[in-house]
Amino acid sequence: MRREVQAIVLILIGGAILRISIGDAYLNYVKANMRIWLILSGALLVVLGGMALIDVLRKGRRSDEATPHDEPHEHDDGHGHGHGGPRSAWLLLLPVLAIFLIAPPPLGAYAAARDTTNGVQPREAKAPPLPEGDPVPISVSSYVSRAVWDDGASLEDRNVQMTGFATPNSEGGWWLTRLAISCCAADAIAYKIQPLEVSDLPADTWVTVTGHWVPGGGTKSDTAIPLLVVDSLEQVAQPENPYE
Amino acid sequence: MSEAPTEQARYRPGSLEILAVGLVLLVIGQRWIVGIFDDPALQTGATIFVSIIVQALPFLVLGVVLSGAIAAFVPASFWRRALPKNPALAVPVASCAGVVLPGCECASVPVTNGLIARGVTPAAALAFLLSAPAINPVVLASTFVAFPGEPMMVVARFIASLATAMIMGWLWLRFGKADWLRIGPRDHLVGSNSWHTFRLTATHDFLHAGGFLVIGGLTAAALNVIVPQNWMDSVAAQPLLSVLAMALLAVVLSICSEADAFVAASLSEFSLTSKLAFLVVGPMVDIKLVSLQVGTFGRRFAARFAPATFVFAVLMSVLVGWWLLT
Repeated sequence: MRREVQAIVLILIGGAILRISIGDAYLNYVKANMRIWLILSGALLVVLGGMALIDVLRKGRRSDEATPHDEPHEHDDGHGHGHGGPRSAWLLLLPVLAIFLIAPPPLGAYAAARDTTNGVQPREAKAPPLPEGDPVPISVSSYVSRAVWDDGASLEDRNVQMTGFATPNSEGGWWLTRLAISCCAADAIAYKIQPLEVSDLPADTWVTVTGHWVPGGGTKSDTAIPLLVVDSLEQVAQPENPYE
Repeated sequence: MSEAPTEQARYRPGSLEILAVGLVLLVIGQRWIVGIFDDPALQTGATIFVSIIVQALPFLVLGVVLSGAIAAFVPASFWRRALPKNPALAVPVASCAGVVLPGCECASVPVTNGLIARGVTPAAALAFLLSAPAINPVVLASTFVAFPGEPMMVVARFIASLATAMIMGWLWLRFGKADWLRIGPRDHLVGSNSWHTFRLTATHDFLHAGGFLVIGGLTAAALNVIVPQNWMDSVAAQPLLSVLAMALLAVVLSICSEADAFVAASLSEFSLTSKLAFLVVGPMVDIKLVSLQVGTFGRRFAARFAPATFVFAVLMSVLVGWWLLT
């Protein structure tokens, strides 16, 4: 790989990282607190690539092609390890293309349906009381933790409002779902709620639901799926951060 | 792409031309490419692939910045003074030094490469490579949060990881051969001043490791989508099999060491010892990391080092789990 191509690859991968982290697209892949690191590392790669490009332009392309020292990988040691740059560096274009051409959407119903458990056991079973509000907006994961691990104690006689997407249930109906990530989408964990008496929705439809908890979904088990009596249901746009 | 330098006059497309034509074709074909990715399984795979790369890239950049700084600003004599002269003693010291690199496994590969190039004895540098992603405070804190009511998990993870790192360092000292390790010549990375050296080293290390990170990310994303979820339920009940299954799962999933504790905790049907194996193996041997090792240290090295690390990481997990977690 020639030096100017190396420089362009660096600028492209840095640019792709900058592109998703300056907008909101990075939230489809990682947590919000990664943003500053993405911007810094993207900018650094662009600067490194830019300076490498200046080096090449200063020296001139002619000398680059004339001196064998600058292009030794064509007859390298078989590891693709030459001074100029390894062939494997071409692969860095794959994430660049994925980001610019495909822009993969956030994980949704397909990934949630593959996760056979429902959330993780919270650090403390006893949940603090819900904040004021009627209905009170809470996260899907908080509802699941409160209903399953605290026997719904903090949910009794309260109206709650939650936003999530529909994951079709193979036995009919759908689950109100939200995926939680702790680093990146590769470690996503699904939280699911069974809404009662609702009409079918296509997979990945985002909805805001108001309703209240009823017992019967099972407790103290990470396969229990809590129930929700739905009072109102509204289709909404996907939130800025698709994960919790 | 091999070029015939004898005849300069004849036109042959170089890498710049290939890049330009390829990009134009891809932009023209975008609709068609996006159409292929309409399938939910492929789309999920693509999202996981981009996520792994986006998550790992800042750590890889941190790693190459540190390795560039080691090459440019830290004199080789520093390491001779900082580490004990006796390599057998340098191994535990380097293992414990892993506490100070608050990152995941992607950062430690280029740093280790830089350390060896600077004359640090390979056994000590490799012990650092294994311990740093597993025992730094960020990782231990996330382990503590992920396992409510099981504080011993943090202690067990620390001890088992440190022990595995030291054993591998000493094994390298006893059995390792220098020619398994491919540390490329780095004379051409010495620039006209310190900043120039820093820039050349960081760029070189990034380009050499980056492609292998992509291979690792692709493989992990593919397996993530292909491996059926319920195969695990059937092995969870058998103690020894479940330890092996969790260790293999850690290799396959290639999750960042700062997040793996949450994933381990979510696999509740497994025993604590098998979860420990997941947490000890993951930061030391996973597809993304082995791929990075192949790119940085060569195939001959990775083919020996990674399986041996896997075996000892599993053994240490079983021993420490039996001691602390039952």
